[in-house]
Amino acid sequence: MAANTEVVQPFRADWRLGRFTTWLTTTDHKRIGILYIWTCLIFFAAGGTLAILIRSQLMKPHEHFMTRGSYNEAVTIHGTTMIFLVIVPILAGFGNFLVPLMIGARDMAFPRLNALSYWFFVLGGIVLYASFFAKGGAAAAGWTSYAPLSTVHLAGRGEDLWILSLHILTLSSFAGAINFIVTIHNMRARGMTWTRMPLFIWAIVTYAWMLVAVLPTLSAGLTMMLLDRNAGTNFFNPAHGGAPLLYQHVFWFFGHPEVYIMILPAMGIISEVIPVFARKPIFGYRAVAWSTVGIAFFSMLVWAHHMFAVGLPTGLDSFFMITSMIIAIPTGVKIFNWLATLWRGNISFDTPMLWAIGFIAVFTVGGLSGIFLAAFPIDWQLTDTYYVVAHIHYVLFGGSIFAIFSGLYYWWPKIFGRMLDERLGKAHFWLVFLGFNVTFFPQHLLGLLGMPRRVYTYDQGGLWEVYNMISTIGSYVMAFGMLIFVVNVIKTSRSGRRAGNDPWSADTLEWYATSPPPAWNFERIPYITSARPLRDWRRRLVEQGRL
Amino acid sequence: MVALALGSVALAGSGGLLPPTPHSPNAHRITDAYIFVAVFTGIIFVGVEGALIAFVVRYRRGKRARTAEGPQIHGATRLEILWTILPAVVLAAIGTFVFYELPGIANAPKASAADSTSITVEGRQFYWMFHYPNGAVSIGTMIAPANEVVNETVVSADNDVNHSWWIPNLGGKMDAIPGRENHTWFEAPVGTYIARCSELCGIQHAAMIAHVHVVPRAQYEAFIANRKANETGIVLGKEEFDYVCSSCHRLNKTYVGPALAANPLLHDEKGITSILRNGVGAMPAVASDWSDAQIQALIAYTKTIPVPKQSANGG
Repeated sequence: MAANTEVVQPFRADWRLGRFTTWLTTTDHKRIGILYIWTCLIFFAAGGTLAILIRSQLMKPHEHFMTRGSYNEAVTIHGTTMIFLVIVPILAGFGNFLVPLMIGARDMAFPRLNALSYWFFVLGGIVLYASFFAKGGAAAAGWTSYAPLSTVHLAGRGEDLWILSLHILTLSSFAGAINFIVTIHNMRARGMTWTRMPLFIWAIVTYAWMLVAVLPTLSAGLTMMLLDRNAGTNFFNPAHGGAPLLYQHVFWFFGHPEVYIMILPAMGIISEVIPVFARKPIFGYRAVAWSTVGIAFFSMLVWAHHMFAVGLPTGLDSFFMITSMIIAIPTGVKIFNWLATLWRGNISFDTPMLWAIGFIAVFTVGGLSGIFLAAFPIDWQLTDTYYVVAHIHYVLFGGSIFAIFSGLYYWWPKIFGRMLDERLGKAHFWLVFLGFNVTFFPQHLLGLLGMPRRVYTYDQGGLWEVYNMISTIGSYVMAFGMLIFVVNVIKTSRSGRRAGNDPWSADTLEWYATSPPPAWNFERIPYITSARPLRDWRRRLVEQGRL
Repeated sequence: MVALALGSVALAGSGGLLPPTPHSPNAHRITDAYIFVAVFTGIIFVGVEGALIAFVVRYRRGKRARTAEGPQIHGATRLEILWTILPAVVLAAIGTFVFYELPGIANAPKASAADSTSITVEGRQFYWMFHYPNGAVSIGTMIAPANEVVNETVVSADNDVNHSWWIPNLGGKMDAIPGRENHTWFEAPVGTYIARCSELCGIQHAAMIAHVHVVPRAQYEAFIANRKANETGIVLGKEEFDYVCSSCHRLNKTYVGPALAANPLLHDEKGITSILRNGVGAMPAVASDWSDAQIQALIAYTKTIPVPKQSANGG
């Protein structure tokens, strides 16, 4: 077969540069992916520490654990970290490591641009954390940074550094997105048609197109904010004819698609893991793929559901309610298809699968609470309360982060060549699953009782105290669970069981390479005959009596 | 602890399972809509989690080989159509119910001018100021007539930030955004209700709480007439001090801002006027849009605060 006689291009021998320089100068998509993942895990620890500080402050009313100013800084940097320095880039990290392997390419389309994306990301993160030491402290206007609070009323340099950090991160994500798009559109192995791509690839290509569509809007908004603060313009200053509402429109036109940018690749991970551990093909491949695209499309038409209380005309509120509800339909399609994949399966409960099942269990809650928020008269009660805090954490922690851990346990053997410990992995999952629900479920109730978000203290007495205390205890349980993950990583780094090429008997092409894969990924890239090339290959070996 | 929890369940109504106990028609309808949505989402929740648990238990590997395959089913178009259409129908039902309830939530009932009152609610860092139809002003405490429609115009000063006006028992939120005029309403029985700011507005966002006293019409009339007659009165001055100054200052100790008792500015009319009008350093121009009478009222009150002797005691 002519297709399989492709010559392996000579690859630069990275090892000659020395261990440290190799990593600094690498353009290998796998190394960049690993750098992304490690860096994001470090930022996850930092953002998680801020979360624990926030919960410690809110453990009791009138607590003096933190000052008011530092509380607002912690809230702002926690949100910004988790969104811009953890979830979005770690998904890019997974994408970097996996996209070429999954589509049968030898690297990303633009390896050096890829390295630039990573180093911009690191720089953006450093700028954000350095801003704690700026005059006036870090930014304190929330991760949404609404004008005119952020433009006129926060004098310190923290807010300017927040803008700078996001500008840099925007460039990083934009370059990365272009790279994914070009790679996935052009570099798939022979035979890998669009309907033979892994669903994770569908998710990443959609993620990348969405970033390209909405990041420029964020950049524009950030630039206007920067000019308002430093160059005397008045885009958002009503005292001189500007409009604070403009900022909210611009921010959420980016901000809501951003939520799906964070959840679609996570759903892609779930769509990879569930079939492997249920020993069945994904139920309704086309429906899952098209629901991804459908969610992406509608996600750009729902932004003002974050703004139901700003006094928009009823017609606009109604439009945004209807579009927000429409998004629930393709989301439901995914959940039903995952359930149908489990149906009549042969389900093994390895750690990646536990996280995936946990994902379905808690993401469903986040999806359903979203329906209350989409109905705008109900939203008038719920918006900007702890109900919203609970909702976003059910979606972004119970959703994205659970899926990210599912992916970490699943691909860890491929990335590092060693398995993570299953017993520690299961302890990690159960503690986080329990702690997560104990932390965030009571926050729905707090919101309904009337507790606004972003407050450093609250009323004394009654259920407010009880629920806040429960929530804080839950957060400590989660933190303990995360420490077990750290122990697991350290423990297995030298002594973990060596993984073969395909420890889970998985179906997609990355498992065809060795673990860890060589710099050039594959000796030969097989012709792709279905969306499950490895299963096809195993069956051929069985038919030939070689397995 | 248990007794405390149970006691507060009674106080809080549903204990946080439903929106706060409604005391206004719009709040009632929001709670109705909440319950309507909760019924459907509750059924979906039980269905999805039930199926998840059932499948996970029923189809666990057990003694089968790890790689033994389940039946290789790639999908079923009819099922896909079913679980696309069914949620669409449920969502359409929810949407329809919301639109059915909407007019009673968004629009104040039509009332003759005699049975309605208009009060302007102004959000400022970090206090709420209320402007009554006769020009009277109150701060931190809103007085409103009972059992009639109170139309609220919600605003924020041009040099201020976004706030959000929310009386949880009396309906939804309405943002106070500089340069915009928003409208909401309530119709409540006699009682005292708490109002909170629910949009991050700066360092004392958490402290931006107001009380709404709903009183019989006669009492309301008397209150605003009295306020109008005593525009520079010490009562308004005390309110200003308690809700505006005190949100960041204490007399004898450093709070968000410096202690006031020993501060010479406290008894310096020109200085105090200038700082209130224009702000200084981290302090916003909290009184940029006050009338001269309002400033006079505060000065009248500050004169009653004694100049401290060498050592101040207590706070």
